[in-house]
Amino acid sequence: MSKKNFRDVISTSRIVVCCGSGGVGKTTTAAALAMQAAEIGRRVVLITIDPAKRLADALGLSDLSNEPSRVQHECSGELWAMMLDARATFDEVIRQQSRNKQQEQAILTNPFYSNIASRLSGSQEYMAAEKLYELFNDDRFDLVIVDTPPTREALDFLEAPQKLMNFLDHRVYRWLVMPARGGLRVLNFAAQPILKTIGRVIGADVLADAINFFQAFEGIEEGFRQRALAVQTLLKSQDSKYVVVASAHHDTVQEAIFFTDELARVGTPVTGLIINRLQPKFGKGSASASITAARKADKEGDTELAALHRNMAHLRHIMQAEEATLKPLLDAVRSALVVKLDQRAQDIHDLHAIADLGRDLVAATATR
Amino acid sequence: MSRMLVVAGKGGVGKTTVTAAMARASADLGLRVLVVTLDSRQGLGELLGGSPDAGSEYEGTQIASGLGPKKTGSILLRTLTASDALEDYLGTQGLARLAKRLVSTGVVDVVASAAPGIDDLLVLGKLKHLVGIAGPEGEHDLIIVDGPAAGHAISFLQSPAAMAKTISGGPLHSQANEVLAMLHDASKCRVIMVTLPETTPVNELVETTALLAETVGVHFGPVVINGVDQAPEITALVAKDQLPEGELGDAARYRASRCAMHAHAVERVNQLVATGSISLPHIASAGLSAGDIKTLAKDLSAEVSAQS
Repeated sequence: MSKKNFRDVISTSRIVVCCGSGGVGKTTTAAALAMQAAEIGRRVVLITIDPAKRLADALGLSDLSNEPSRVQHECSGELWAMMLDARATFDEVIRQQSRNKQQEQAILTNPFYSNIASRLSGSQEYMAAEKLYELFNDDRFDLVIVDTPPTREALDFLEAPQKLMNFLDHRVYRWLVMPARGGLRVLNFAAQPILKTIGRVIGADVLADAINFFQAFEGIEEGFRQRALAVQTLLKSQDSKYVVVASAHHDTVQEAIFFTDELARVGTPVTGLIINRLQPKFGKGSASASITAARKADKEGDTELAALHRNMAHLRHIMQAEEATLKPLLDAVRSALVVKLDQRAQDIHDLHAIADLGRDLVAATATR
Repeated sequence: MSRMLVVAGKGGVGKTTVTAAMARASADLGLRVLVVTLDSRQGLGELLGGSPDAGSEYEGTQIASGLGPKKTGSILLRTLTASDALEDYLGTQGLARLAKRLVSTGVVDVVASAAPGIDDLLVLGKLKHLVGIAGPEGEHDLIIVDGPAAGHAISFLQSPAAMAKTISGGPLHSQANEVLAMLHDASKCRVIMVTLPETTPVNELVETTALLAETVGVHFGPVVINGVDQAPEITALVAKDQLPEGELGDAARYRASRCAMHAHAVERVNQLVATGSISLPHIASAGLSAGDIKTLAKDLSAEVSAQS
């Protein structure tokens, strides 16, 4: 069921995940899709991660509530947006899963917990997925659009739930928690030679915090695991449509290809590819034809005309280089919907400009 | 001149390209350059004219030598990972045997997550050691580090200050303080920020620079603005407002407006950042080659000597 254009994608999907490396206009593209979806009557919520300040302001995302708020926008549907606060989301999960207040507090106030909640690699990705799961099951919305974190490891987002589970399942941790189960005192345990050595290197306090955390976490793992499994299942289900955003730069193209291949491998092929910031086309013809024309004008003594042709040659040369750069990506996405957008004259940072981009995006017919 | 330059910037700004061009330009001046990458997948080996897997060996790969007027210039590429740095570190603490075991059992992950930032600190500690053996009498004249990508550059450079607070006493505490001292010493280390000539990247550059200056106290070299388009001839023609109808005129107007936007961005950087900037031209090609890097290196040297 391949889609004809992005209007189809936003009319029928329940989840759209925008992925790609940093600097390709991913957040703006996600916002543009969300606005268009709201304009055709859908109740859409946009989850953004670390948007540029002016874009955040445009979407009214100045408050850090970690909850969606309604964007003032005239449309037949509803547009909501939120900025992900990974730490607050992690706290919410702990609150939901804790058996009692005491356990909740023991975890939330633990310094080691602070570290993993805010800095453990993959925790931001996991919390984005967690939020996606929560809003997918929220009756207020019928479409969730996510702007994924700009990770180097493209699949972090999809595999974050698993990664977090692996982390919590780590046999070293099992081993750290064990003495509490066996009724041994932690102090004795911390006196073991290997832990003593680690403690000497990283500091005894840090180690004690880690042990306390895993002891407080006891009994929650199962609920945590169930939840992570549900989140991961959703990410790999037919409900989740992946849209890769790229620009015609060699490195972003390499990353987009890697991501496309990986998505296909795990059984969730890319639905669409959006290529942003292309050099616009001016007329037909090649760079070398323009160079020939410039030489002819030079011979005829028309230096201005020659300069104009050389300029055209320069721009066409860039265009041709971009096409060559993109070729392997276009081959990699196979049957996916592909839309190419020209570089805009101005930066996009107000609702008006985002809406403009969105209209171009959904109206564009698929190209190859 | 600083002994070490750390190249930093958000994803997509061409940080690795700039690292390669700087290395090439410095070696062409006759310097013995050590290029350190923290991520072997960045393709630095090929950009510098070596094989794709150049630099993967622990001791590094000699990519070029005999460069510069007196044939003294050379480029050595080396990949530095957190686990290498940890093994080295534990080795210096007399715990070499333990190091192997810690790495193989995965305890390293535990250590790294028990105190996030520890891996960054260890990498910086290793860099500090390399800076210590650099200089006219040492192994290298200049170390250029292709810094971590995206927002990670901030936490990377902030790690020693954070660790000095988290860990009270012990060898890592002193390590953190020594690394901080190196970061504060402009003769040893400067950060080169890379950006693009557009509004949002420039805004982010200004924010990041201010944040790093405040929280780390690191020194900066000039900002490198990558992909700056300049076409004075076309700009002048457009200003005369006698362009032909059709695609030639449209293309000229497009080019002039893009050049104006870039010039404006460059001006903003020069106003907002005390160290000023160096502009590199946009290179139109499908994937940069070692040849393109040589061209960029020449542009870079020309810009630097024009300014000094």
